[in-house]
This record gives sequence, structure tokens and C-alpha cells, in this order.
Amino acid sequence: MSLRTTLGVLALLFSVNTQALEVGEMAPVFALPGLREQDGATVDLTKYRGKVVYVDFWASWCAPCVVSTPLLNELRQELVKAGQPFEVVAVNVDKDKEDGIDFLLDEPVAYIAASDPDGKAPAAYQVKSMPTAFLLDKTGKIRLIHTGFKPADIDTIAEEVKKLLAE
Amino acid sequence: MQTTTPCPTRPFLLVRRVALTALGLTALLTLNACTPVAAWERGNLAKTEMLLTPAPLDSALADHIHFSKEASSGGNSASGGGCGCN
Repeated sequence: MSLRTTLGVLALLFSVNTQALEVGEMAPVFALPGLREQDGATVDLTKYRGKVVYVDFWASWCAPCVVSTPLLNELRQELVKAGQPFEVVAVNVDKDKEDGIDFLLDEPVAYIAASDPDGKAPAAYQVKSMPTAFLLDKTGKIRLIHTGFKPADIDTIAEEVKKLLAE
Repeated sequence: MQTTTPCPTRPFLLVRRVALTALGLTALLTLNACTPVAAWERGNLAKTEMLLTPAPLDSALADHIHFSKEASSGGNSASGGGCGCN
């Protein structure tokens, strides 16, 4: 096989690999439709500048999301009650948004939920597994990338959030 | 007088060129299917019916009985349905 052919095949093989987002980069902005009525017509990430934001990509079929949802809600409630500028923006990636709505009927949360059935936002964030969350500081910079979820993870997340709130 | 002719006229070189082109085209066509399923598109893979074993508890019990009777273990199952969430 000639060198040109070999290089062509290699280029095709590796063409789907993209560079992942890293800590320290600015988070891609998005404006997506709200999942539930209470989330409003549009969930615009830029509206939360000045707040520490936990952008969580989740789906009704994702087993660890069942664990993370109530814990995140609890953390958010605790901080918001204390008057802290913190918000959780949960991006639901279910193809059928009704699945996401049903999930939140069983597990109600007070935080913001957006619907992204086409996966534009997770593609922009280069999400590699579900759930993946990006913790953004008040300027919209990514400060922590969290993949998967175990109950004990909430302590690490809470610690990081409080650190960013203090900045 | 004998003349030298350029490469592809010799039959085996022509065959090689055709074979390489066919290989290249096959690679082009099949590599299109190599796009990985994105993490957020694994809803169908996460369904219960996509599990390798429909009843994980039953199959764990069956495995246990099998290995205690046959004195063998391992190599007979894999966990998860492929959603990549655990």
C-alpha cells in the first residue's frame, strides 16, 4: 500500500477524535428550551454569569443520575437558602423530553432543567460519558469536570462549589 | 527490437492496482460505520432488553451453580448493557 493511501486511511481512522474540553477553558454557552413549564421557554447559560453554575448533563436512562439528582437538589437548596449565588443547570439529553419530565415528576428538583434532544450542548462540551458535569466559576470558566456519580461525590463537589463561591 | 513499456501494462501490476483501489474503496465505505455512539445517544443501549442477560440475579445464581458443579469460573459473562454509565 502506498504511503499516500496509508496516510489517507489513518486520517480517516482518527478523524472522529476531538480534543476534549479542559479545566480553565471558557464553557461553551447555550440557549435551550426549558424541560418543564417552570423552567421557562429558554434556558440561557449566559443569564447565570456572576453565579457559580453546575452544568449537569443527564438522562432518564442514566442509572447514576438517579443518585445525583436528589443530592444536587439538596446542595443547591442549602446554598440558595444561605443566599449564595449558586445554580444547577441540568441539561436533559433524552430523545423524548417526556422521559425527562417523568423522571423529574418522580424526583422533583427546584433547579433549572433544559431539554436538548439533539445533543447540541453535550457535543459542544464533548461529553464522553453520562452523567458528566461542568462546574463553572462566576466568570463562566470551567473549574471542575465531574464524570459519573457516586453518593460520596457530592462532598467533593460541595467543597469545590464553596471554594468558588468564596472567590 | 524490444521496447520497455511503463508500469501498469504488466498484468500483475494492473491487478495489484485494481486490488488496492478496491481495498481503499472498501475502507472508505466501511469506515463510515466507525463513528462511535455518543454518550448522550445511548438511551436505547441502556434499555433493559439490551442487557446481555435479561435477569442478572438469575444468571449470577446459574453461574454459581455451574462453577460449583464444573469447578470452573469466569469467562462466561460481561456486565452492563453498553450505556457506559456505570
